Amino acid sequence: MSESPKPKQRHAEQVLTEEFLLARSKILDLAATIDRLQRADGQVESLEKQELLEQGIKILLDDQGEKAKRVQLLMSRQYNPQWREHYGLH
Amino acid sequence: MDYIDPHIHMVSRTTDDYETLARMGCVAMSEPAFWAGFDRGSVESFRDYFRQLTEFEPKRAAQFGIQHYTWLCINAKEAENVSLSREVIAMIPEFLSASNVLGIGEIGLNKNTKNESTIFLEHVDLAAKYEQQILIHTPHLEDKYQGTRMILDMLVQDSRIERSRVLVDHVEEHTIGEVLDRGFWAGMTLYPVTKCTPQRAADMIERFGSERLMANSAGDWGPSKPTAIPDLIMELKRRGHSRDLIRKVVFENPRKFFSQSKNFKADALHSESASN
Ligand SMILES: [Zn+2]
Repeated sequence: MSESPKPKQRHAEQVLTEEFLLARSKILDLAATIDRLQRADGQVESLEKQELLEQGIKILLDDQGEKAKRVQLLMSRQYNPQWREHYGLH
Repeated sequence: MDYIDPHIHMVSRTTDDYETLARMGCVAMSEPAFWAGFDRGSVESFRDYFRQLTEFEPKRAAQFGIQHYTWLCINAKEAENVSLSREVIAMIPEFLSASNVLGIGEIGLNKNTKNESTIFLEHVDLAAKYEQQILIHTPHLEDKYQGTRMILDMLVQDSRIERSRVLVDHVEEHTIGEVLDRGFWAGMTLYPVTKCTPQRAADMIERFGSERLMANSAGDWGPSKPTAIPDLIMELKRRGHSRDLIRKVVFENPRKFFSQSKNFKADALHSESASN
C-alpha cells in the first residue's frame, strides 16, 4: 500500500499565536470549575473522581509528551489480556 | 467540498437535516444500525427497523441527491439479551441483498461484558460466512480503551477476517495507533463532550497521517452535530492543510473503503462529484 506523506506541521510560534485565546479560556473554565467545587456545600464522598482530575492536571504540567493520550489512559479502565479466559470464551 | 459521512444515524434526523447536509457538500452517507433510545422487544421490531434503513431512508436521501447506505446488526447495548440477539442475527440475511447494504454494523462492545462479546463473535461469524464488510462501534469514555483492545483481540483471532474490510469507529488518542498499526481502517467520531472535537481530529490526522483514516458525525439521538465534517474541513483549512489531504480524509478514503462492498455505487458518486 502506498503510504501518503505525513501532513505538514505548523510552526510553533504560529500554533501558540493561533491557539492562545482558546487555551486561555479552557484554563479559565477549569479554574472556575475547581472554584465551584471548593465553594460547594459539604464534602466530596468518593474521592476517586477528584483524584483523577488532579492526576490529569499533573499530566498537563509534567515534562513528557503525548499528553492527550496519557490523560485518556488515566481515565480508562484497564485491559487484561487474559479477558477471554475470565469469560470462558475461546 | 464534496464529502461522505461514513457514520450517521439519519433515522434520528429530520428531512431538513438531509437538505442542510446536501447544501454543505454531503454526497453520500452510511448509516449503521444502532440503539433506538430504548430496548426493542422483539425480532419483528428489528425487521421493521431494517426496512426503514433499506427502503425509507435511501428515498429521503435521494430527494437531495445523497446516496444512502446502511449496515445491519443488533447493537451492543441490546446484545445483553442473547436470545433476542440470536433471533436478529438469524434474520439479517433476509436483508443482505438489499441494494444499499454495505455490511454488518455497527457491532461492538458497550460495557465490555461476556454477553456483548459472545454476540460480537456471532456477528463476526455472520459477516465471514456472507463475505460482508464490518463496521465497529467502540465503547465510550472509561470503557473505550479496554473494549477496543478486546474487539481487536476477537477480530485478529479470526483468520477469515480481512482487516482492510473492517472499519473501527470512535477511535481517540489512546486507541487510534493500535487500530491503524494492525491494518484496520479507523474512524474518528466528531461529537460534543464524550468523543472527539474537530480540533483533536485534526491533531490525529497531523500525527498519524491520512492513510486508512476517516471522520464521521454520528448524528444520533444525543447532542450531536450532523454537520461536524464540514467543521473538520474548516479546521484543516484554517491550519493550512492542502485540499488533497482534506479530500482524502473526507471523500477518497470512505469511497475506497466502501468500494470493497459490491453494493457501493462508486461510479455514480464519481460523476456527481466531478460535475461540481
Ligand atoms: Zn453509531
